[in-house]
Amino acid sequence: MALKQRLGSTVATLAVYIITILIVFPIVWMVLTGFKDEVSAYQMPPSLIFTPILDNLNDALNSGIMTYIYHSIIAVGVSTIAALALGIPAAFALVWHPRKSNEGVLFWLISTKFMPAVGVLIPLYVIFKDVHLLDTLLALIIVYTAVNLPLVVWIMYSFFSDIPKELLEAGRVDGASDWQVLARILLPISLPGVAVAGLLSVIFSWNEFLFAVTFTYTDAPTVPVFVSSYMTAEGLFWARMSMALSLAIVVPVLLGWIAQRQLIRGLTLGAVKG
Amino acid sequence: MADVTTPVLRTEPVVSKREAQQSSTERRLFLSPALILVGLVTQIAFLATIYISMLSWNLVRPDQGIHFVGLSNYSSMLSSSTFMTALINTLVLTVGVLVAGMVIGLLLALLLNRSFPLRPLVRTLLITPFFVMPVATAEIWRNMLLNPVYGLIAWLLQQVGMTPPDVLGSQPLLGVGIMLTWEWFPFFMLILLGGLQSLPEDLIEAAHIDGAGPFAVFRHITIPHLQRYIAVSTLFGLIYLLGVFGEIFVGTQGGPGDASTNLPFLIYRTAFNDWDVGAASALAVIAVLITIVIATGFNRVLLRMTGYGEAQ
Repeated sequence: MALKQRLGSTVATLAVYIITILIVFPIVWMVLTGFKDEVSAYQMPPSLIFTPILDNLNDALNSGIMTYIYHSIIAVGVSTIAALALGIPAAFALVWHPRKSNEGVLFWLISTKFMPAVGVLIPLYVIFKDVHLLDTLLALIIVYTAVNLPLVVWIMYSFFSDIPKELLEAGRVDGASDWQVLARILLPISLPGVAVAGLLSVIFSWNEFLFAVTFTYTDAPTVPVFVSSYMTAEGLFWARMSMALSLAIVVPVLLGWIAQRQLIRGLTLGAVKG
Repeated sequence: MADVTTPVLRTEPVVSKREAQQSSTERRLFLSPALILVGLVTQIAFLATIYISMLSWNLVRPDQGIHFVGLSNYSSMLSSSTFMTALINTLVLTVGVLVAGMVIGLLLALLLNRSFPLRPLVRTLLITPFFVMPVATAEIWRNMLLNPVYGLIAWLLQQVGMTPPDVLGSQPLLGVGIMLTWEWFPFFMLILLGGLQSLPEDLIEAAHIDGAGPFAVFRHITIPHLQRYIAVSTLFGLIYLLGVFGEIFVGTQGGPGDASTNLPFLIYRTAFNDWDVGAASALAVIAVLITIVIATGFNRVLLRMTGYGEAQ
């Protein structure tokens, strides 16, 4: 019986290793292909051992991807900072000055997540066109800030709510101003929350495609727009494409690994703590 | 460690009337910028979508003018075969990926919920597809894996003597569904793993002592406990999957024909290829209504199962 159980456990472990290798294989293969020449890129079966070359990196950097990366950094960075700057005080107000309407406010914020992006895409396009914000990073910054705000408020609210009451009461008795309480008591112990909220907003807006491809074309397109252009232009140059794709996904993948423990809390807006 | 939480809503008494007033002002001051921005971009913009949906308006034909046409955009869209195709494609794709992602996610969550060497690394690797940007996912799958001539899967099939199919050409929904399942199973896996880890071990031990086999434990303890996690992941999975766009834009361009066009892609195409923003807005309103019906219907199930939101 014990032997049978041990055997079953070993089989399960082997199975999980094999499944994991199959699942990550496309990503690993893509990254490796980025360091091959075009001829060996097409070799089947794909070679895992080869002499890496950096030509594709040079090509990718010369193909203008840096401009797109720069646009992404500005759009994603500014909107994340803005979402934190607006969302943290909002979550603080809910915890520090609670009212009966708290529940309503929080559920309203969740419900905005049920609004598909296409439901607001057209009027935003028309308005941005009218005020000459089309094809500017500001248009993306405004939209990404609004899209990430509910997430930031929920995550920060759930972190602030975990703070022991006594600590909050101490601040109240102290007679400190709201900003002081937020900056001196709540924020320092909720820094992991700020990090998680920030990381998740960066990941989601870095990968966002619908608004980016609709609102920008020549002056402000972001990395996903660049990636989608390979569809027609260079789909058959695997090595060059692989290098560009690797550069495009490296930021969200690394940040995602860092944020993985809190990912579920963010995606389900606090409904599940992973 | 992991549990479905009920948000704690505090309503502490405020000391004096003057302080109460001041506190209300401060609450508004801190809260309103965030709420106003979210309200403008989501609610007010949606009201504008409803308004535009009742206009005859072509963005690149200003000479035709903008006319109020009532509900005629809706009637022409609802009776078009493209809309019906897109609607069916959306539902097939959403439900298909949801079921496939849930099954694979559950299987892997069960496999991960044991101690074995390299477990943290395996978990990290398994969630990686979720962070790859959707348009990059589509490029990798379309070119390197599913391409019927050069792709890896075609090569593998040739090795066993099969003729490789052009998946994205002949079965585009299946092809997109495979990409989406690869991308989304980690989401289900993580939520279900959270559920498994919150299952009290003494409960399982007690069942073992009572003579229950592993299958009985799974059926009578694990699955009932996981129900609420399955419900949460279904709700959020549905909402995110109904909005899929980049994978289709890059993977198939909605084609061949309309064979893989879903509602978001049809709305995009109607608005920004045909520039018929009136009709596109009508489609967008329909898409939102469908999402709301599914979300509220499911939310009710969720509320019953989890008590989520029962606070006060």
